[in-house]
Amino acid sequence: MHLHSGLKRTLPARLIRPLAGLCLGIALGVCGARAEAPATGQPAATDRFRVSTFAYQVPAVRLVRDDGKGVLLSDELDDGRAVFLNFIFTSCTSVCPLSSKNFSDFERELGAERTRVHLISISIDPEQDTPARLRDYARKFHAGPEWQHYTGTQAASVAAQQAFGTFRGAKMDHTPVTLVRVAPGKPWVRIDGLMTAGELLQLYRSLLAHG
Amino acid sequence: MKRALFCWLSCAAGVLGAALACAATERRAPASPAAILKVGEAIYRRGVLPSGAPLVGQRAAGATVEGVDAACTRCHRRSGLGVMEGRGSSIPPISGLYLFKPRSHDDNDLPFVESMRAERDPYTEATLARAIREGIAADGRPLGYLMPRFALDDAAMAELIAYLKVLTPRRMPGVTDTELHFATVITPDADPLKRTAMLDVLTQYFSDKNAAYRNTAPRLRSGRPVMFRVTRRWQLHVWELSGAADTWEAQLAAHLAKEPVFAVISGIGGRTWAPVHRFCERTGLPCLMPNVDLPDAAPDDFYTVYFSKGVLLEAELIAHDLAARAVKAQRIVLLFRAGDIGEQAAAAFTAAIGASGTTVINRRLPAHGGDLRRALSGPGLVDAWVLWLRPGDLEVLAQRPPPAGSLYVSGLMSELEQAPLPESWRPATRMPYLFDLPDQRRVRLDYQLGWFAARKIKVSSLRIQSDTFLACGLLAETISHMVDAFQRDYLVERLDDNIEHRILTGYYPRLSLGIGQNFGSKGGYLVHFAEPKGAKLARDSEWIVP
Repeated sequence: MHLHSGLKRTLPARLIRPLAGLCLGIALGVCGARAEAPATGQPAATDRFRVSTFAYQVPAVRLVRDDGKGVLLSDELDDGRAVFLNFIFTSCTSVCPLSSKNFSDFERELGAERTRVHLISISIDPEQDTPARLRDYARKFHAGPEWQHYTGTQAASVAAQQAFGTFRGAKMDHTPVTLVRVAPGKPWVRIDGLMTAGELLQLYRSLLAHG
Repeated sequence: MKRALFCWLSCAAGVLGAALACAATERRAPASPAAILKVGEAIYRRGVLPSGAPLVGQRAAGATVEGVDAACTRCHRRSGLGVMEGRGSSIPPISGLYLFKPRSHDDNDLPFVESMRAERDPYTEATLARAIREGIAADGRPLGYLMPRFALDDAAMAELIAYLKVLTPRRMPGVTDTELHFATVITPDADPLKRTAMLDVLTQYFSDKNAAYRNTAPRLRSGRPVMFRVTRRWQLHVWELSGAADTWEAQLAAHLAKEPVFAVISGIGGRTWAPVHRFCERTGLPCLMPNVDLPDAAPDDFYTVYFSKGVLLEAELIAHDLAARAVKAQRIVLLFRAGDIGEQAAAAFTAAIGASGTTVINRRLPAHGGDLRRALSGPGLVDAWVLWLRPGDLEVLAQRPPPAGSLYVSGLMSELEQAPLPESWRPATRMPYLFDLPDQRRVRLDYQLGWFAARKIKVSSLRIQSDTFLACGLLAETISHMVDAFQRDYLVERLDDNIEHRILTGYYPRLSLGIGQNFGSKGGYLVHFAEPKGAKLARDSEWIVP
């Protein structure tokens, strides 16, 4: 059961920066940029994921954070910290728990560095996933103070998904995507598939060093 | 001991052939097949090991899952027939037949499911145990990364495998080679006009559904056995209940014994639906989208699906609205009739409003009669009124001016935009409205209205008829998604997964279900009458999901 036929080679960190300008909105694979060897520090690609880079424009989307407060997605993204974003729903049983577990492990493995990141999980089943339900879900994954879950109207959730090219219509058709941006103004690194926490950490370090 | 147990079960259940070697090496008092299955079922559905400890699974990528999150049912579903979740994320069926049956070209008893692995070699018990423990498929390839590895001991493994074998698809009641049987349930307290309105739609829908089979088109049969029977007729059984509610479950059991059906579709209730709900959950009978304003679903219920939470959702919306308006609500009076659905709605409201500084006064009117004139007076200052009353009672109350304070009227109980509210009450009265507003839903209803008109169905209760038509349409779509795998659990799972794709959703802006979700539509508006007369509504809120 091969769920994702990923690129065989990893996107090297040194390529992310120059290509971000060239390939706005286009997956690197389409641009034909492939590395011959994994760059130092980058996790080796597997059939579990593929990595590309995009320049997403985030529209004004009003969401409800798991503490019940109404927020603007752009404010949450642009608070100066590195952003790790994924889309989940609490009644999802296969991919989302794995994705959330990876966030959980990643947050723990960051140790003292965790204050420099913001983990954002947006529900794609917002009418079911009330703030209270999201808090329960967050607790289950031992979410620390750097990790918030978001709900809102159906339209807001769809708008957020569309902004990052992850909207698939119905929630059962979702695919696992993680989006990483080391700082406001930097390009978004998109991971289709699932990276382990260790691989995510490796990617983060590499982006910090080279990106 | 594992083998002994396993053989015992297999022989008793008639699942396995005689080929199994029953070499018992240990002896203990044989447990009943049901007891063994319970152990396997606990692992499968709840992730609980025979010792009572939680099941623990390890995924290749390093993540650990535990307890109910590790249970097989979480991905492979209760039916064991798997699912296509996400694009390309395919969870295969793991019920016995799909795992163990040798493949052949003349396979005509293996119902098609989307995620089946037709090309894979059949498992043996040994290779299945290896798959569960080490993540290696029958053909030696690694399983997908979503599949955890479980360090089950031999006894637990045997019990789980025994359960998988029993889980195998079998001929369901109400499913024959040529017919699919469904029932609809009518309780004696259902409104007689709405009952007729619903039955008009149901019987016509079934008749239409079967009309295609009356023509001379050749049936899809051939000399060799074929897998798919595409010419099954739909047969509707109307189960009319009578007498006291505590006798309904026995009546339903008698109906089901006499007329075995695959599922209950639509139906109509009055003051309570709980006995029907309980019966369906207890007997594992899907009970889909009945016309009831007080559904009765507990968190773990599986077989019952409703369009919405009805008056319970209204209660939550009103509580939400009071909080959102920052209404100083120290004293709230709830008005309802004993034994009517407003009584439970009032309880749900009290729970939703919370305890802090609010006094909720339940004014419980007798089931019939009583003096309504004094129902809207003090004692003392009342900040908010919530009226869970039928149109007849409202008409009497509304002969007097509206009371001071915030005023809410149940939409479902008072017939929504047909509520008999006079001009003096209209600006002051808010109503929870669990549907798309009339102007917004009109386009979606046009198709249904055309269908009713073409078939000369009198539209006497549009909401009931629209919901009934929608229920039939969803059933037809779900059945077509099932191809030939007519299992009751699978019916519910397919409905859960596919309802979001429905385009014409009748009265509802959107329908969505999922694992552990029993209500298709989850929110509503607060509205008031826009004009002194007529049915035009104005919105007081956005769509709220409390």
